[in-house]
Amino acid sequence: MRRVAVIAGGMCKWGVRNATVRDMIGEAGKECFGSCPGLRPKDIDGLLFSTAFFEKNQFQTHSAPLAAEILGIKPTNLIGKVELLCGSGTTAIHLAYTHIASGYSDMVMVVGADKLYLPDKQETFFNLQAACDRDFDCIHGLGVPPPLFAMIAKKHMKRYGTTEEQMALVAVKSHRNASRNKFAQFQNVVTVDEVLGARPIVRPLKLYDCCPVTDGAAAVVLAAEERAKDFTKDPVYILSIAQASTHKNSANMPGWTEWDHIMISAPKAFERAGLKPEDVDVAEVHDCFTISEIIECEDLGFCRKGEGGEFVEKGLSDFGGQVVVNPSGGLLSCGHPFGATGERQASELFHQLRGDAFNQVEGARIALQHTMSGFCSDSSITIYGRDV
Amino acid sequence: MREEIYWSCIDLFPQETEEHNRIFPFYNHLKEGRLTTTRCTACNAQAWPPRVVCPECMSDKLEWVDLPTQGLLDTFTIEEVGVPLGFERPLIHGLVKINDNLTLFSRIVDTKPEELREGMAVMLKVIPIDRERVIYAFKPQE
Repeated sequence: MRRVAVIAGGMCKWGVRNATVRDMIGEAGKECFGSCPGLRPKDIDGLLFSTAFFEKNQFQTHSAPLAAEILGIKPTNLIGKVELLCGSGTTAIHLAYTHIASGYSDMVMVVGADKLYLPDKQETFFNLQAACDRDFDCIHGLGVPPPLFAMIAKKHMKRYGTTEEQMALVAVKSHRNASRNKFAQFQNVVTVDEVLGARPIVRPLKLYDCCPVTDGAAAVVLAAEERAKDFTKDPVYILSIAQASTHKNSANMPGWTEWDHIMISAPKAFERAGLKPEDVDVAEVHDCFTISEIIECEDLGFCRKGEGGEFVEKGLSDFGGQVVVNPSGGLLSCGHPFGATGERQASELFHQLRGDAFNQVEGARIALQHTMSGFCSDSSITIYGRDV
Repeated sequence: MREEIYWSCIDLFPQETEEHNRIFPFYNHLKEGRLTTTRCTACNAQAWPPRVVCPECMSDKLEWVDLPTQGLLDTFTIEEVGVPLGFERPLIHGLVKINDNLTLFSRIVDTKPEELREGMAVMLKVIPIDRERVIYAFKPQE
């Protein structure tokens, strides 16, 4: 297996965009290429495009060649679209990694995009019902899962004593971090009282406990070590990848407050990288809801089970703490165009390890990406490192 | 009676009849007030949702078995924002424990949020969605 590095990463402005998916692919590609002086489209021999709703929302299939054409890339080794709902981008990164590591490609662009704002908001809510088990869960009016995470939050509060105030602190940290990220959907700082007093979405989740609806695109370029060294002396390497998927239908979910897909994949990711959770300096985790970040900190091993609320309360997931979690602002504040979130997380961690992030974690060497998908079904984990 | 022909990709609900769907007995049973699933006659594994092939042993010799139509409301939540077209607001989502092995995510109907409490008894409610098709939900036990 060859070593694989990330050599470029970028995203377009996320939020409510007066732009098409095609426009945003172009913008994100420009930012991505711009992050790596000398890198040109003709250097790239593979492209994976990740999207969850392009087919449904914009009626476009066979989308990877479209993305390649927009970015001036003519793949000679790898081309295709990857979909795993919210985990689409991270899965695409994992597949690009294995393709390069095994020697079939040298340099792959992974680009993700989704446009979720449609002229009639009802169309978006309708289409999102394609995401769960259509025949057996969506018939109950279940779309993307705020109701699921509301139930998870209730169960975690009951079992471990987690409080709405602790959940609010996740949102406060997220918004403060995003206030310095010009690409994030939100730049407004919020207080605990504002989070607690916001309008309910699905109780106990209120407005700031939930990631917003977002349009956006992001891209990274992965390269074999020898090609990466043509562009940088100090590459950011992918040290390991791991995934697990436990179910599709809601009735087959193994646990509500303990997430098996993390507890299966995270130990593998750490073992493959020869690292432990305490070695991680900076992490982008899948904070689709505030409760998600709390549980992920537990199940990734950053803190003990049931202590995720205290972990954020004590500032251990903040700058100056044990591990800086979601310095970008995460899904809660950057937004969450499903198919592009994996590339956004990867791009953030690439910049963190290269030392030029908006909210730089000083001296960061080891970074972890966690992306969750579906009805709390799957986890995709990537560990990145510099000077290793 | 044949189903009317229309563009099914904009339909919230599955095609349920024998013409389109091999687990059509599930829907026929619902119309009789029965909640059912498939059990493998080769290895005895019971699956949810119903299948045409056993996920444990790949046998296609499956039989229909009845599930309880009464259960306990394990937890519930009220959706106030983002309720999809075709569903009333607020939308009540519940987890209904129908036996030790199966807890179903379901809409809770014929009630008000303030009347619900965790642990209360609920029962199957079959809801027609058009001339031919039905879906299931749960409602407080009478």
